[in-house]
Amino acid sequence: MSLEYRIAAFVVLSLAVMFADIRFDYLDRVRFALGFLTAPIFWVADTPARVSYWIDDVFVSHSDLIAENQSLREELLFARRELQLLAGLASENHRLRALQEASASVEGRILTAEIINISSDPGSRRVLINRGAQHGVEAGQALLDAYGLMGQVVEVLPFTSWVMLITDSRHGTPVQVNRSGERAIARGSRGEIPEIELEYVPDTSDIVVGDLLVSSGLGQRFPKDYPVAEVTSVVHDPGQPFSIIRARPLAQMDRTRHVMLLELPVKEAEVAPVNGSVPDWIEVTQAQEPEAGVMTDPATAVDAGQAVPLQDAAVEPVAGDTPADPAAAQGATAESTPAEDMPLPSELADIVPEAPAGQD
Amino acid sequence: MEQKTNATWVVYLTFVVAFLLAIVPFPEWALNYRPQWVSMVLIYWAMALPYRFGIGFAWVAGLLLDILDGSLLGLNALALAVIAYITLSLHQRLRMFSSLQQSGVVLAMTGLYLMMTHWMKIAANQAVTSDLFFLLGALSSAFLWPWLFVLLRQMRRGFSVR
Repeated sequence: MSLEYRIAAFVVLSLAVMFADIRFDYLDRVRFALGFLTAPIFWVADTPARVSYWIDDVFVSHSDLIAENQSLREELLFARRELQLLAGLASENHRLRALQEASASVEGRILTAEIINISSDPGSRRVLINRGAQHGVEAGQALLDAYGLMGQVVEVLPFTSWVMLITDSRHGTPVQVNRSGERAIARGSRGEIPEIELEYVPDTSDIVVGDLLVSSGLGQRFPKDYPVAEVTSVVHDPGQPFSIIRARPLAQMDRTRHVMLLELPVKEAEVAPVNGSVPDWIEVTQAQEPEAGVMTDPATAVDAGQAVPLQDAAVEPVAGDTPADPAAAQGATAESTPAEDMPLPSELADIVPEAPAGQD
Repeated sequence: MEQKTNATWVVYLTFVVAFLLAIVPFPEWALNYRPQWVSMVLIYWAMALPYRFGIGFAWVAGLLLDILDGSLLGLNALALAVIAYITLSLHQRLRMFSSLQQSGVVLAMTGLYLMMTHWMKIAANQAVTSDLFFLLGALSSAFLWPWLFVLLRQMRRGFSVR
């Protein structure tokens, strides 16, 4: 008979815990403490993947290495050339922005991370990354890879964090069509295919297949003008009030392991001293933004941009008023990646030069 | 008196392995087929040693699973406690069953477990899927049960867990 009482007690206890977890946030501390217990399990579960990467790195033939080196060199050359173009665009954009007195949108530090697990729940699309509170991660930070926006941190554990991908059906991303400037909310699809859908877009809107969607930065979460997805289908159903628009995320959701975390933009002043002591963060900003009009030679700007982001991570926090425009910041992002053994974003180079055009 | 140590670590070890198997990354198409390792291991130990591993133990295991899953705290705990309760009240009969009958019971129990967690997720706005493919996990669990049962029984006898 005591069995019934016990199960009833535990059911009530569970319901209370669940209610408290939804409503209040003092259980976050319990979660956090239990995270210390579960961290080794994640570490062990990730071992096969790490070993296979290690084997890939170690047992590779000399000729393969040479070939890879060759292709990386070519990509670097290509990226450098794009960067030269970018610098020109950056200075022009900066001048225009200065005219408009608009504030800069993307800058801050990035932290490289690795995806070590994916959610075992078929109903949600989340991944676990190997950075947590110990590395200065906070809930709400944006996760990027070299090709596009991936998601945002929803739960921080001591050594790991859960990231909700933009393809999760509970995630909405504020986006903007790069070509026309039209804004929309991109929601993760409910179906089996990991894609996103634009919600409540009127039939008259100017969106066609192939359009690039960039983040609009309106939610104050994601960097402005970072590529998000490419429109794959536009259906105008006369029976529906809104058009049905689907898009394929540009980030390599299921193929990449190496990702970047972007620092929260709003709390920069408070967070900066803490992160200064954490050596993993990399500065991604234009080093010294030249005065508007002075920078006519793109090459000097590129040199200045190259030198600083790669040097070290523990340089002091960015001055809050250094204006850097998104295109330049992306250029710097792309540039800092080789230092962290990340693939050079060849697609990014195609995308970035268009970015300033979209917001004019 | 020589049975002072009763090898509880074997039970904890099986649970750690079950947790590992529960979070090992699966390809997207196989997500629905993931066997419910923690429930199965719990059913075995609650059946074999009902006075040692009961509802409280299951609840704590479920709480750890919640953290591993990143799901709502108490969700898996509640479901596992219910599973433990059913097993405890049936354990005399379960021991007499053939392995096929046991598989049937495991199918029902893991199915109930998946259904309960699904309901709670929907109630808490943590899931929106409406198809029932997630119940395939119960099928794979029932399929694997006879082998797991033999394995765990060998471990229990070999290490004389009691």
